[in-house]
Amino acid sequence: MTPPPTALIADDEPLLRESLCRQLARLWPELQVVAEARNGREAVELFDLHAPQVVFLDVHMPGLNGIEAARGIARRAQIVFVTAYEQYAVQAFEHGAIDYLVKPVDEARLADTVARLQGRLARAAEPLPGTEAVLESLADELRRRAAPRAHLQWIKASVGQSVRLIPVEQVAYLRSDEKYTLVAWDGGEALIRKTIRELADDLDPDRFAQVHRSVIVNLHRVTQVTRNLNETADLHLAGRSEVLPVSRSFLHLFRQM
Amino acid sequence: MRSAVPSPSLPARWRAAPGGRRVLIVAALCLLAAIALNPIFVSPFLVVLGRTLFVGMALLLAFTGVGRWRQPWLPRWLAQVLVVALVAPLATFVVYLLSVGGDVVALLRHEGMLLGVLAISSTTLVGGLVMALGALYRERDAQARADGLQFALEKSTLERQALGARLSLLHAQIEPHFLFNTLANVQALVESGSDRAAPVLRHLIAYLRAAMPRLNDAEATLATELQLVRAYLELMHLRMPDRLQFSIALEPGLEGLRFPTMALLTLVENAVSHGIDPSEEGGRIEVGGRRDASSGVVTLWVADTGVGLAETAAPGTGLANLRARLQAFYGPGTSLDLHEVAPHGLRAGLSFAPPEALP
Repeated sequence: MTPPPTALIADDEPLLRESLCRQLARLWPELQVVAEARNGREAVELFDLHAPQVVFLDVHMPGLNGIEAARGIARRAQIVFVTAYEQYAVQAFEHGAIDYLVKPVDEARLADTVARLQGRLARAAEPLPGTEAVLESLADELRRRAAPRAHLQWIKASVGQSVRLIPVEQVAYLRSDEKYTLVAWDGGEALIRKTIRELADDLDPDRFAQVHRSVIVNLHRVTQVTRNLNETADLHLAGRSEVLPVSRSFLHLFRQM
Repeated sequence: MRSAVPSPSLPARWRAAPGGRRVLIVAALCLLAAIALNPIFVSPFLVVLGRTLFVGMALLLAFTGVGRWRQPWLPRWLAQVLVVALVAPLATFVVYLLSVGGDVVALLRHEGMLLGVLAISSTTLVGGLVMALGALYRERDAQARADGLQFALEKSTLERQALGARLSLLHAQIEPHFLFNTLANVQALVESGSDRAAPVLRHLIAYLRAAMPRLNDAEATLATELQLVRAYLELMHLRMPDRLQFSIALEPGLEGLRFPTMALLTLVENAVSHGIDPSEEGGRIEVGGRRDASSGVVTLWVADTGVGLAETAAPGTGLANLRARLQAFYGPGTSLDLHEVAPHGLRAGLSFAPPEALP
């Protein structure tokens, strides 16, 4: 007599874990749900602990998502993904013939999945060989979506007791001021610890340009360029009275085409 | 000289020397002055013309040079007028000094030459001052036109942003991911025969009704907005009871304020999806509001203890749209700012002066 099949359910929403447990109990009474995980990290830990044959993984989970968790589990179990509305994921699952369920889980569909899993377990079938490539490209896609931008989008500045997040599009210019850098933005001025050099590296070059050893300007705000006799220039900004210097080595930015 | 740049991608037009047009005008004036002065001079016409031209060009150079020189002591226009008044007699004296080979004594003794100095310097002084004032007036005029264009441009940009923000309201408000996940939870409650199913369905209906696309903010109030926020947070708390706690506390008397629908909800949704949901531990969301008794300014805030915002996190269009909508609704004094919460999390605050609050 073979031991009963075992399963792990991973979903960050407890009601949905319970619901899937109940549905499975009706459709596949022999299946033992040996562990429930609240996120991808727990799923991998509990999988290593219990080595279940079937794993139900929610795609969207905090920390490690379902796709990343599945790569951790690799080819050691039959994996079924559960998703609410990740269209790109559904397409990839279809394409790679990977088992998946959509939430809310339809009982007839779950019955089909159960039948397929039972058949594979009976044959002691290996998980599908193409699965890993599909998971890898899906993981890449998810990382790309969650990836931070290449450039600074926010400037964190201490204002009084708190740290304020200033959207870079509201910044008019940045100017080094001894140890600190002065940020002049639509809501006022603030000092930050980052240097002009660091900021010049991190800010989007399509929007910001260094125009002087100590000045970075938001190009979208420049209204006038006044050239001086000694190969330097002055910048005038929209809605601001300050005049910013352009030094000789940065003058080419404003040369006539 | 200043030249307006329509956009930063276009390089400025450079003018190192006085413009060619100005040189021509000054030359023509010098010619007129020479013709007018010629009858009282003994010297040949060309010599008189040469002297007036020398003085005229000296004045133009001085005017342009001082205009470019950024000095802190005098307003630019005053410095330009003063330098013209100073250079007119000086340049005349110099041009005569050249003609006598630098001999100051000889020049001072020669009555005819002194008369010439006086005639040319007074003519160029008057002419130069009139020209300088004219040029300054034209510059100011051009500046005013440029400012007017800039203002019109900014105004139309603001209007476009507000329109874009309103149009985005008409697009799908309800994220399918949110809807299907919530429905899955409702299904779970119904299947298990839980008595929580009915209240949860009520929250979902309230949320869906409020989130339906609409154009008109006219009858929306802060009270209806808070009902929407509460319905949303109740649903999210149902879905992640171990990861999301929340509280809503509004100072009494603010409920009746007109308020653009979904504005606070946008901030609360951000707090859930960018603060709480990515965190394994989750956190707490506090929604609050108060009115400053003296200024009448209302401040609303949404603070979470989630993962916070990275400096490179995509700002998304939601916040920019919200800012534009609030400004269109309450006027330019409206602010929307984000602060970090220690040790981790984010606080979004918006403040505005509601029209009803004005004394």
